[in-house]
Amino acid sequence: MGGRRSVAPPVFEQARARWALLAVVVVAVLALVVVPLAAMVRTVTVDAGGRVGAVLTAPGFGSAIGTSLIVAAAVTALAVPVGAAFAVALRGSHVPTRTALRVAVLLPVLVPDFVLGFSWLAAFGRSGFVDDLIGWSWPGVQSLAGVTVVLAVNAAPVAYLLTVSGLSARAESDLEWAARAAGARPWTVLRTITMPLLAPSLAMAATVVFVLALGAFAIPEILGSATGVHTVTTRIYADLASSSDPASFVAAVTLALVLVLIAAAVVGPADALLTPGLRTTRTSGGSLGAAPGGRVAGRLAATMMWCYLAVAVGIPLLALLATAVTRAVGVLPVPSNWTLANFTAVLTARNGEALGRSMVLALVAASVLAVLGGVVALLERDRAGRAAGTLVALTFVLPGSTLAVGLLIGYGRWIGGSLLIIGLAYLAKLWALAHRPVSGALDRLPPEETHASRVSGATSWVALRTVLLRPLAPALLAGWLVCFLTGLHEVTMSSLLYGPGNETLAVVVLNSEELGQVGLTAALSVLLTLLVLVLAAVLWWLVSRVRRSVGVPDVR
Amino acid sequence: MGTTRKVWVSILAVLLLAVAGCGSGTGGPGTAGGSGSAKSFTLYTCVSDTTINPVIKAFEKAHPGMQVKLYRAPTGDLNARIAGDIRSGGLRADAIWACDPLTMQDYVGQGLIGDWTPATDIPEEYRTDHYVGVALLYMVAVTHEGVAPPASWKDLTDARYDGSVAVPDPNIAASALGALGYFAADPSYGLDFYATLKKNGGTQLSTPTDVVNGVAQGTYKAGITIANSAYAAKQSGSPIAVTWPDPGSVAIYGPIALAKHSADNKAAKSFCSYVTSKQGQTVIADSGSYPTLAGVPGPTEPADAKIVSPDWMKLSHSKDKVLRQYQSIFGGR
Repeated sequence: MGGRRSVAPPVFEQARARWALLAVVVVAVLALVVVPLAAMVRTVTVDAGGRVGAVLTAPGFGSAIGTSLIVAAAVTALAVPVGAAFAVALRGSHVPTRTALRVAVLLPVLVPDFVLGFSWLAAFGRSGFVDDLIGWSWPGVQSLAGVTVVLAVNAAPVAYLLTVSGLSARAESDLEWAARAAGARPWTVLRTITMPLLAPSLAMAATVVFVLALGAFAIPEILGSATGVHTVTTRIYADLASSSDPASFVAAVTLALVLVLIAAAVVGPADALLTPGLRTTRTSGGSLGAAPGGRVAGRLAATMMWCYLAVAVGIPLLALLATAVTRAVGVLPVPSNWTLANFTAVLTARNGEALGRSMVLALVAASVLAVLGGVVALLERDRAGRAAGTLVALTFVLPGSTLAVGLLIGYGRWIGGSLLIIGLAYLAKLWALAHRPVSGALDRLPPEETHASRVSGATSWVALRTVLLRPLAPALLAGWLVCFLTGLHEVTMSSLLYGPGNETLAVVVLNSEELGQVGLTAALSVLLTLLVLVLAAVLWWLVSRVRRSVGVPDVR
Repeated sequence: MGTTRKVWVSILAVLLLAVAGCGSGTGGPGTAGGSGSAKSFTLYTCVSDTTINPVIKAFEKAHPGMQVKLYRAPTGDLNARIAGDIRSGGLRADAIWACDPLTMQDYVGQGLIGDWTPATDIPEEYRTDHYVGVALLYMVAVTHEGVAPPASWKDLTDARYDGSVAVPDPNIAASALGALGYFAADPSYGLDFYATLKKNGGTQLSTPTDVVNGVAQGTYKAGITIANSAYAAKQSGSPIAVTWPDPGSVAIYGPIALAKHSADNKAAKSFCSYVTSKQGQTVIADSGSYPTLAGVPGPTEPADAKIVSPDWMKLSHSKDKVLRQYQSIFGGR
């Protein structure tokens, strides 16, 4: 990766320790990714050679790929401008309620995706919440359009975050102020200065959103499947989870392989094109200055953003709550029809155990990944390590459905249906998420410090603990936080891998939704969403405390 | 400085707790397997949550120390899970409680279950050498409040219900498969019944509960669904009416069977015996499902309810053909 790293001395000067760690990483990549993928290729080419032709020409096959591509492209086209608009607008100190908006904009990605899909259905579907209130509904919510819009709402915060980090690294507020002082209108400044500087970040955001939308499962499953809209991921689920036909199994494996090829075909060129642009560092130091803008424009922007968030998450979550407290399907959500029966019905020992499994899986996966992510980031200081780092970064491209199918074929015989196989899937899928923040933080560390400590006689471990671990703590924790929250409500892989008595809470919610238990699903969704939001708030507070105590400024 | 250390210590504590929790029983390859110890067994079923949960609870209470590991899904998903098991080392269930005899007969044909049934007083019409019917599903018609209910099943093809009839998917729901089997075999209905429903704008939803919801919301005027789901919704206040149309409600019995490889699993056998006993049948009835044992009072059933059933054995030979024909009308998942 960057040239700056090559001047840094390795943390682990004993070759043995470094090689041992490298071996751990290589074995992990082999076990988590390479073996499953190889097993899939083998299934398609050797075990089912005769059937692949029929699978490839089956009508559902091509249409699922087409739908996935259309959805991913449309989601990218919608989510990136929305996310970028939020990022640019929220730079200005002239925007009222800016702090609240910066938290609220993240809600659509914090709320579990299947809850978001179900909430939109409850809010805008036929006989939904809004229909009950004002007699308006959007039947299209259960169609290709609905899948696209809700996925875009879900992905917009990701585009927002990537644009924000692009802004903090590259946008030059001095230049913008200078242009404004010289008489340029705000629109001209945005067009001629801010946007060109942001272009690489936007392109990166587009790539990431495209890949996420391509691998998305829960929202297309909830909003599309009932009306015959099938993406590659929902087709894989239907083939594996609802069909006992051997041809369906081959179809699922083939589709899972095609999915990873599409993702790689998009990310490969994008990465090669974008990486040099993203590496350029900012010329002016200092903290990120506020972008110029007027008071009226600020108010207008804030109003628009709140309106968007109200429609995108506010009304849907309200509808979810209304559904959860309403006693029956088909009656109005008015106080005389309110009940807590749905909540008491879902507070069972079995659901409690499912929650426990979700928590344990998320905790263990996030903690193992914090270590693995840290190890890879440390190793990246030499060539072999950098190769390992690139390999880990590439796992981001692997859609969850593909990983799950691969693990099932590779290890299903021994650990199929156990929590272990779900845990392995989490490790494989989330590794890149854990690695990225640590790698980035390590990039920003002055290499002289570790060198100095080693020269003055500190052992590797002491150097690691005293010089590296402290400043890296916020990044490690942030990676841990992202993995934990993602693992807590992961459903794409869990729904394919769980076994008897091993449901995670997310699987329980998805199954309940598929059985048509509207009130119970809503109650479970409300509880799960509250849990995620409360944990996110607590952990976020924890991360900023650590950040402050080690002297890293809050990235705002 | 001090706070950082505290924060780290608390994080470490949480992690240790998590790892300890993980070690104490939830994960590991050992828990995935089928036969397991005699004290616990794995049950695959499509029976609704509202029934299976109280039954397991009552069983575990009556048999201290015994534990049921449950996999519950609609029949279509259950078949897929079993196919996946067979691909990766063999059936992981010790007992299967299906929702219709056709699906169970398939498992017998695959050599997965059978050869043992518990001693029971359940009538012979619900028993074979390989499985015993322990609960009944009744297919009924459900209409939105204010919509005239159908007197016969054929009425659902009337112009008054045009474009507004919902049916459950027989690829997913065993009850729908049973109903399809009955109508297909009845010469005055046949698959034409479904073709006309479709031609009039009928809609296929996935589960019987989806049908009840759609009718309750007013999205559909009428639908075909199962009695326990319809009565449960009506009881909680959904604006629907339940009717048992002529020539009768289609009765589908859900059988339980022991997996062949679990012939010596005590817990699985105890469970099969329990659900076929008067005690177990009473729990089933109290949970809102219809028991098969005579003398155990079941949930709502009209006094003059007419009930029909297909010839299951005959149907088991034509099932795949009928399903294919149906799929050419309504499509499949």
